[in-house]
Amino acid sequence: MAIEWNRRRFISAAATVVGAAAMAPALSACSGSPAPQTGANTEPGLRAALPAYLPNTAIRPEIPSVAGGPDVLTDAGFLTYPANPVATVAGVPGRGGSYTAVTPLWGTVPSAGNSFYQAMNKALGVDLAMKPADGNNYNTIIPTMTAAKRLPDWIQLPAWWNPNFNLGGLAGTQLADLTPYLAGDKIKKYPNLAAIPTAAWRTGIWGDKLYGIPGFATGLPLAGIVYYRRDILDAKGITADQVRSADDYLNLGKELTDAKRGVWAFDDVWTYLSPAWGVPFRWKVDNGKLVHKYEMPEFLEALDWHYRLATAGYVHPDALAGDNANASPRFYAGKTLIQGGGAGNGAWNVADHESGTAATPGYRRGAFNIIAADGKSNPQLFLTNSTSELSYLNSNLKPEQIEELLAVANYLAAPYGSAEYTMVNFGVEGVHHTRVNGVPTPTDDGKKNVQAQTYPFLASPPQVISNPGADVVTKDNAAWQAANAKAVYKPVFWNMNVALSQALATAEAAQAVEDTIKDCYHGKKKVSDVQAAIAGWKSGGGDRLKQWMTDNVLQKYGTGQ
Amino acid sequence: MSTAVPRRAAAPSRRNWRFRLRRDRSLLLMTLPAVVLLIVFNYVPLSGLVTAFQEYDPLVGVRYSEWVGLDQFSRLFTDPLFWGSLKNTLYLSFVQLILFFPIPIALALLLNTVLSERLRNFIQSVVYLPHFFSWVLAVTIFQQMLGGAGALNQFLRGHDLGTWDVMTDPGTFALLVTSQAIWKEAGWGIIVFLAALAAINTEQYEAAAVDGAGRFRRMWHITLPGLRGVIMLMLVLRLGNALTVGFEQFLIQRDAVGHDAADVLDTFSFYYGIATGNYSYGAAAGLFKSVISLLLIWGANRLAHAFGEDGLYRK
Repeated sequence: MAIEWNRRRFISAAATVVGAAAMAPALSACSGSPAPQTGANTEPGLRAALPAYLPNTAIRPEIPSVAGGPDVLTDAGFLTYPANPVATVAGVPGRGGSYTAVTPLWGTVPSAGNSFYQAMNKALGVDLAMKPADGNNYNTIIPTMTAAKRLPDWIQLPAWWNPNFNLGGLAGTQLADLTPYLAGDKIKKYPNLAAIPTAAWRTGIWGDKLYGIPGFATGLPLAGIVYYRRDILDAKGITADQVRSADDYLNLGKELTDAKRGVWAFDDVWTYLSPAWGVPFRWKVDNGKLVHKYEMPEFLEALDWHYRLATAGYVHPDALAGDNANASPRFYAGKTLIQGGGAGNGAWNVADHESGTAATPGYRRGAFNIIAADGKSNPQLFLTNSTSELSYLNSNLKPEQIEELLAVANYLAAPYGSAEYTMVNFGVEGVHHTRVNGVPTPTDDGKKNVQAQTYPFLASPPQVISNPGADVVTKDNAAWQAANAKAVYKPVFWNMNVALSQALATAEAAQAVEDTIKDCYHGKKKVSDVQAAIAGWKSGGGDRLKQWMTDNVLQKYGTGQ
Repeated sequence: MSTAVPRRAAAPSRRNWRFRLRRDRSLLLMTLPAVVLLIVFNYVPLSGLVTAFQEYDPLVGVRYSEWVGLDQFSRLFTDPLFWGSLKNTLYLSFVQLILFFPIPIALALLLNTVLSERLRNFIQSVVYLPHFFSWVLAVTIFQQMLGGAGALNQFLRGHDLGTWDVMTDPGTFALLVTSQAIWKEAGWGIIVFLAALAAINTEQYEAAAVDGAGRFRRMWHITLPGLRGVIMLMLVLRLGNALTVGFEQFLIQRDAVGHDAADVLDTFSFYYGIATGNYSYGAAAGLFKSVISLLLIWGANRLAHAFGEDGLYRK
């Protein structure tokens, strides 16, 4: 649960554009020095570097994926685990090489050389020393390695921490160029890697060269959606279909809030509901001109609505006091009935179901459909990056070593339900897991050593929806995805990597504006205060950022859509 | 302190220096680990301050980061948010000095009048306890009691008495954090005063009592003068730390009252420096704070000496 929460929660924060100056002497944006490398890709360069896509059909899901448009695909749903997992990799991928790997881990670090690591090394045919590092401090641990130029052979660098890692600078200096091994049809040597959707590979490409191996890729990456307590709202006769506009939400706030009984309709929803006003992730192109969301009247309208929601008393006071850590307990206990949360498996999973039913028997999480605020326009929600987890190989590796590790990655990326997937995620049957009602269930050994996920952070198959023991979650989630896949759109600069100088990255983070926005949707600052903060941001670097993005990215590389 | 040489030591000569080294060698050896610790963790990291004059990029390290001179500082001094957080820091420091500083002294005096040792130990344990809570826990307790959905407000709501928004009101935030600090730290703060009280010669009280001095007169003429040195020392330290009012306490409650009210210099460095990867900017803000703090502590020490007290060290 902790793993899921952290990993997915941050997807919403993951930036499409990444920061910090490119390469050697950092260039300050206003010094008049030559422009730093942008890291962005040209159309032909991108096409040449991208691997081919060959979907895997070895294992059929009960609930197949539904296409929502080009590059948009819902996650496949599984209600049962294959009884006899098929093998997708012939023989042993490795040739006995010795390597080290570093991955983030939210939980207790398994002991080195434990039975699972040993079994994995045997299955992989390499001596792969796993060195998981604390996920909460990962963004401060890694820069010490990159500064000392002492990266391990294989490392996971989550995309949401790009500004800290300066990936634009690392690509080509410390990270290996995988283009010669994976571009185009060359990936067919690694069929499981070839089954990762093309859009996810785009996030691993810097300056027309492929560096990153995407993990946990999804065809429907969303910043998050608006959830509700389906068991409670069903009992009141309220269904998701009835909520079609911002006004409907406000009415729900009035109807559901009962402060005397300690029940408030809403927890924080700003991040998840504001796109309904047409607010993009960050940029929009209007008549060929780049527009930042701060400059859009729709943005201020959305903010004003959230300010009214808070001041009307429909939001839980603890949420207004900034206590996010207890948002889930509030939701489970029925103190709040509507909350925002990560999409996909982020909040909607078996762990959530278990926690919820433990607090309230009959607990059921539901999600409102994507809407347009006015209730008349087309409902819309932007896609986020197709993956936020990428692993990289060290540039010091020899070509045959890179090939050996890519073969290992191919094993790790085996599809859900395959023999390799079972090994990577559940370990050896009888030692790390046993089958209970057909579902691989971890033993104590498995809980300690396998469930603390390490290998999937190096490579993993595309996401699926699977919640053994809670079929209702799988069905609800898959149904929501199928119903909403058509309402998503590709935002400007989607899956595009851009390296920014520190000054521009600071302007992009816009901490002062974001702080004021939070104060506003918590009902403490007026929209006019946010407008003042935006004016300060524009003159203090925002306008320069827009100009730079227009000149160096939009005009040279297009929108990436 | 114990290694301090007698005040009227002979004029320093080579022989004398060696003699003192030999005489105090066991004491010096005993302080050595602490000195090494201080050098490694307090003095060596000072070299990192150089990043305040750079556009520091963790990827290329301190050596190869671009040198920008005073650019970070000129940006800092034109940043209204920086001045806002400086203002908050000074205001909170002032409020804490007025409201918080006298409380441990008063508590120590009160506790000193409790005769039953068992009762005194009990009271002492009770007031110490909150010191060992983390700020997360302390703020959670306040939130559960006084928050918008806390015990007090649910009671008021239940009886249609309106609500009292003390946890999220920026206007009274200084009072809120000061009362939290008193609740959490006042008990711990009395230790040093209790130690000073224990050092007062009890014969003085007896003599005064024989001369007919009442309880109040004894406190005024014996206890308080006995505490004066320690009070002065604590005041000097407090003034020197005027720009340090706490970090976690404000970090945790920043969203509750908004950044305008809750940002102090330390949270400013964090949010506008480290959190956005803008290390140099944060370092510049930190360096500014350190320089001002040094001046403050120097000034306060001079003041203490002017009043004939020891301050940080004996003149």
